[in-house]
Amino acid sequence: MSRKAIVFILFVVLVTLSPLGAITAEQIISALDANTHFKSSHSMGSITTVDRFGEKTSTFEAWSKGEHTSLIEFTSRAERGQKILRTGSNLYLYYPEADQLIRLQGAALRQSVLGSDLSYEDMTKEGATLSSYRATLLGEEVVNSTPCWIVKLEAKSRSSAYPVQTIWVDQAHFVVHKARYATASERALKEMEVIEMMEVNGIMVAKESRIVDLLKRNSHTIMRIESLEVDLPLSDALFTLENLSW
Amino acid sequence: MVTLALRNITRNLRRSLLCAFAIAVSAMSIVLLFALIDGMEMDMRDNLIKYYTGEIRIRSSAYAQNERYRPLHQSLDERALTTLLDGMDGVASSSGRIEFPLSIHLGDRSRPALGLALDFERERDFSDLEEILTEGRMPTYGANELLIGAALSSNLGIGTGERVTLLSSTALFSTNAMSFTVVGIVSPPVGALSGSTLYLGLERAQRLLFMEGQVQQMIVRAKHGVLLSSLSARIADQGEAALGIEIESKPFDEINELFAIFLTARLIYYIIALVFFILGSTVIINTTMMVIYERMAEIGMMKAMGMRDGEIRTLFLLEGAFISAAGALVGVLVGVAIAEILGRVGLDFTEAMSGVDMEISSILYPQTNLLTSVMVYLYGVIIASLATLIPTRRAAKIQVVEALNYV
Repeated sequence: MSRKAIVFILFVVLVTLSPLGAITAEQIISALDANTHFKSSHSMGSITTVDRFGEKTSTFEAWSKGEHTSLIEFTSRAERGQKILRTGSNLYLYYPEADQLIRLQGAALRQSVLGSDLSYEDMTKEGATLSSYRATLLGEEVVNSTPCWIVKLEAKSRSSAYPVQTIWVDQAHFVVHKARYATASERALKEMEVIEMMEVNGIMVAKESRIVDLLKRNSHTIMRIESLEVDLPLSDALFTLENLSW
Repeated sequence: MVTLALRNITRNLRRSLLCAFAIAVSAMSIVLLFALIDGMEMDMRDNLIKYYTGEIRIRSSAYAQNERYRPLHQSLDERALTTLLDGMDGVASSSGRIEFPLSIHLGDRSRPALGLALDFERERDFSDLEEILTEGRMPTYGANELLIGAALSSNLGIGTGERVTLLSSTALFSTNAMSFTVVGIVSPPVGALSGSTLYLGLERAQRLLFMEGQVQQMIVRAKHGVLLSSLSARIADQGEAALGIEIESKPFDEINELFAIFLTARLIYYIIALVFFILGSTVIINTTMMVIYERMAEIGMMKAMGMRDGEIRTLFLLEGAFISAAGALVGVLVGVAIAEILGRVGLDFTEAMSGVDMEISSILYPQTNLLTSVMVYLYGVIIASLATLIPTRRAAKIQVVEALNYV
């Protein structure tokens, strides 16, 4: 049975069995997670940063397995051979001409990747949302002709990069169309908007997204996925430190 | 009148010495102040030229406008500019540099620092890295080797022979990292440099930062006697024609705001000196007033015998002038002697300067100057003498009858 069918059935069951027949925030997030978390994935894409100095594009190839493990290798000229490995809460950077791997932890994960509006945390984060956040349904809104639920997420842990998030979830496909990431006092830090969607294995995913770091002036980043394969067999050895420096 | 004035001074030697002492202390303080300031100015000039800007610094105007973002891509063509400067009249030497922020990674530890990439051969005309090398050797051309500031080495606990990894943003808006061996430790006199700077070969930094053939700045030393401002203007004009981009070319004293303040603040120092001497002169004023009241009968007698008001004023003025001259002379000589000693041993401000990012060395050497010392002497004599005018005018106005009846 396809993932799309599972999500649909889940949706119907949740809506019909819920006391008032109305969907809850938790149900939305559960369906959203089911859509976006894959057992494994392999993608190729690009990050284009536009700022006061012009436009710069970096290309990459990425693999992920499970909730907390991912590997990104940059393929563009300026970053050729550089890699990022995330395992759990640790993130390692590999540079071909460096003797050692550079390990980033904690607040360092919020540093910008290649000067873009994306942080290392943004590029590598995974994990079930409801295990980290409390969800509240705020209402509904139409975004780019798409009916969406507005859900507010509040982090359970103080260590979260974005303690408060507001997301607009596509009612038909359970995909995030827009998001605002904020501090605990709800001061906005970043905004994300999906520009283009694509279908992968019957599920709609974001193909092109625009991210704006609100702490920077005149800067935004476009992240584009050119190809995406999901639930493919990937060896654990791909995500080891030894492989990183190979 | 001179003989009379000198005799009057010795009538109460203790009081006269007290007045002279006050002037002497003021004069000594001013001499030391100017010596310290001259020493700071000379030290700062030296440091700016050696370690920061050369006598003239050249950058692209675009870089200068966006300086706070450290836009390495707004760089200069090293070969074209070097060729131009090597053949330019008035230029003694030039050298390309790249200054860039980085983070040092050593195992799990990391720390921000400043990288300064140099052509070590051409830098011999500018910085004295080989002289301030306290351990190890200079980096070899083409090898991943660097020098580290002594304070930074101590803070990180790394010495010669150890490997460190440098991570930096590049001219292609990416990041890059390379590992280097620490081959030498240098002790720049400026605390901030010692605590934060790594020195590496220019060609290594160009590779790390994807800046092949490019430099972030060029520094110039002018031939002796060449006016820096006019040479700087010529460099800008010819540089723009050669490189096809707008060039910022500035003499060192126009670059550093603190140094520019030093140069324009001389007037303030003279005002401070004026205040010091006025304070010292209050002793003379007070003493002279006391003398006038003490010698009231004498003044009345002198007036009765035909001495005019102007002559009374001149007498007291001469007394004040002789005391001021003696006090100022002693004060200047003592001040010069102390400044000379301190100029040899130095004043250690290391503790006070720690954490302060100024282009001034931690150890300062006051500089005495004959012209300044003579000026302080004359300044002291004139100010203190003029101060006695206040009470002497009072003395000249005393009526004969009033004075003769004064008890």
